Amino acid sequence: MASIPGATAYPAIPPLDKIGNHRGLSVHAAAPLKGFTPEKERVILLKTLTTVASVALPIEERWSIKRCRYAPDGESVGRVCIATGTHGDEMMGQLIVYLVQQRIAAHPDALRGTVDFYPMLNPLGLDIGERMVPSGTRLDMNRAFPGSPDGTPLEYMCYQVIQDMRGADFVLDLHASARNKSELYEVRVSAKEADRLLPRVRALCPQLIWVYPDKGSFSASLTGALAAEGVDAVILEADERRRLPQEIAAAVVDGIFCKLKEMGIWTGDAIDAPAASADIPTVYTREDVCRVACEFPGVYVPEDRIGTRVEEGQVLGTVIDALEGAARETVKAPCAGLVFSQRSYSSVYPGTLIARIRKERA
Amino acid sequence: MKKDILFTLPSYFRDDMNIMAYRFGKGEKTCAVVGALRGDEVQQLYVCARLVSFLREVEKEDGVQPGKSVMIVPTVIGASMNEGSRLWEPENMDINRRFPGDVTGSTTERIAGALLDRLKNYRYGVQLTSFYQPGSFVPHVRMMDTGRQNPDLGCEFGLPYVYVRTPRSYDQTTLNYNWQLCGTQAYSLYAGKTREIDEAAADQTLRAIVRFLNSRGVIRSETAPGHPSTIITNADMISVSATSAGLLRRIKFAGAHVRRGEQLAFIINPCDGSVREVLKAPVTGMLFFMQDGPFITEHSPVFQVLAGA
Repeated sequence: MASIPGATAYPAIPPLDKIGNHRGLSVHAAAPLKGFTPEKERVILLKTLTTVASVALPIEERWSIKRCRYAPDGESVGRVCIATGTHGDEMMGQLIVYLVQQRIAAHPDALRGTVDFYPMLNPLGLDIGERMVPSGTRLDMNRAFPGSPDGTPLEYMCYQVIQDMRGADFVLDLHASARNKSELYEVRVSAKEADRLLPRVRALCPQLIWVYPDKGSFSASLTGALAAEGVDAVILEADERRRLPQEIAAAVVDGIFCKLKEMGIWTGDAIDAPAASADIPTVYTREDVCRVACEFPGVYVPEDRIGTRVEEGQVLGTVIDALEGAARETVKAPCAGLVFSQRSYSSVYPGTLIARIRKERA
Repeated sequence: MKKDILFTLPSYFRDDMNIMAYRFGKGEKTCAVVGALRGDEVQQLYVCARLVSFLREVEKEDGVQPGKSVMIVPTVIGASMNEGSRLWEPENMDINRRFPGDVTGSTTERIAGALLDRLKNYRYGVQLTSFYQPGSFVPHVRMMDTGRQNPDLGCEFGLPYVYVRTPRSYDQTTLNYNWQLCGTQAYSLYAGKTREIDEAAADQTLRAIVRFLNSRGVIRSETAPGHPSTIITNADMISVSATSAGLLRRIKFAGAHVRRGEQLAFIINPCDGSVREVLKAPVTGMLFFMQDGPFITEHSPVFQVLAGA
C-alpha cells in the first residue's frame, strides 16, 4: 500500500499543553511552531486546540466537537474554517484535514491567516461507521442546522458550531457522498448565493461545480445555515463514504491551498487555479443534469464511467438477475456528457440512482 | 370492504413490497387514514388494523353513509418493518422526509410521490405518527401551520388539545405539510407508543378517529363523547431541559398538573445513584410531553409544560 504523501517528510507537530477547563469546554495552550530567520529562531505560528461544543452523555463521556486553529503570531489576513464529519461514515475529510495540517506545519512561515479545522462533528457516528448521529432515533446532523441554544442536544451542538464559525471569511464543509454512490471532486454552492460564490470557488480547482437548489434539506445543512448568516460557505464532495483514496484527497488538498493562496492566507507553493470558471464543468440548473435510474430490481454491474465523457446511448451498466441467469436491464446514458456520480453498491430497486451526467450544452 | 394495491415496489430476491389500501363506502373521497411511514411504527400499524376491523363491522350494518368513502393505508413501509428498520435502509432515508416525492425519482421519492398522489384528492386526512424522541404526550391532534390548516375542525376528534406547530425548514418535507398544500385538511395523531403496542392509547386513538368520521358524516356509529378541545401553539409550551446527564427517575408523568417549583424528576449518577439534578416545573401548568427513555443526555428536553393549563 502506498504511504500517505509527505507523512514521513514533515516534522512532528508539537504536543499541546492543557491550560484551562470551563464547563466542559477546554482550551489548550498554543504550541508554537518555530521557523528560522537568518538572525535567530522565532515563533511564527500558533496552534490552539479548543472544544467548541460539548454535551454530557449518560455514562461518563462527553460528545465534544473540537477545533484545531493555526494562526500566525501576529496579524491575520483572514479566517477559513474547514469542517468535516457531520456524517460519521465519511472518512475522506479526515485524510484531507490531516494533509492540510501537515503542509502548514512543514512551512509555518507561509501562513498569513487563520485556518480552523473541525475534523469530526459526529464522533459517535465515526465510531460505528454511521452517517447519522446515533441515539434512540438516528438523526442526520446535516438536517439540524442552524440548531438552537434551547433545543435538543443535537440542536444545541449545531448551534454552537454555527456560533464558532461566525465571522469566518470562507467555510469549507467536506463530504464524501451519500450511501452507495461515488462522486467526482465537486464544489456545491447555494443557488441563492451563486452569482457571488461561483467566481470564488474556481480556485478550489474542482472537477465539477454544482449550483445546488436551496430546498428544505439544504437550508437545514451546515452550509445552508451559514449562508443564511451571511457567511460564504460551500460543500466539497469527493469520492464515497468509508474510503480514503489518497490521490483524490491530494487533489482536494491542492485545491484548498490554491484557494488559501488566492485569499492571501497562504504564501507557499500551490497549484494554479483554472484561468476561468468556464473551464470547470458546471451544473447551473436541474436541466443541466441527466439523472439516470434503473427500472428493475437486481444486481447492478457497472461499467466504470465516472469522470469520463459518455455519448448518448452509451452503456453505463447492466442490471442482472442471478436467480435465472438473465440480464434484466441495460442502463444507457440518456444524454451525452460528463458522468459525475456513479452507483457503487450493486443491490438496486426501481428508482435507484445509477449515475448523474452533466449534460453538454448545445 | 375493498382491498387494493396503491403501489408496488418490485424486489430482487425478496417479495415485492405492496402498499395496501382498505376502502369502505363509495362516492366522494372523504377521509384517508395513513399508519406506519416508518418501519418501527408498530402502534400506528396496530391502530389502523383495529380501524379496518371496526369499519368492516360498520359496513356490514350499513353504517357507511351513502356517497362517502374512507381509505385506510396501514403501512407504507412493510419491507422495513420486516427487517426491523425505522428508515428505508437501501437509501438510509426517512419516508416522512421525502414528500411531496417524485414518481420518476429515487425509490423513496417514488414511494412518497405515489402515496401522495393517491391521498391528495381526499377531503380529510389523518396520519398516525411518531415523535423522533422517545416520550409520552397528552393526547392531541397536531398540524403544521401552513396557512391552510383548520384547527377548529381538529376539535372534532374530541381529544383534549389541538396543537398548531410552526414548521421548521425540515418539516416542509413531511406528509402532513404537503398533504395540506394539496388542499386536504390533514391532521396528525400521536398514537401513544411507537415500537410496542399500547392498548389503552390505541383505544383512545381509534375512538378519536371514529368520532371524527361520525362528526363529518362519513359513518354512523355510536361513540362516547369526546373532550372539549383547546387549540394551542408552540408559544404556549415551556420546555424543561436537563443540564446534566445520567439516568432519569421520574416523579411526575404526562398529563399531571404541576405547580411552579414542584419537583418533576431526578437525574441520577448511573453508577452510584447520587442525584445530579432535580428538574422542577418552571411554571404552573400541565405536563404536555415527558421523555420516557431511561437515559438522559445533557440539554435534552425532558418535559414540556403547557403553561396555565
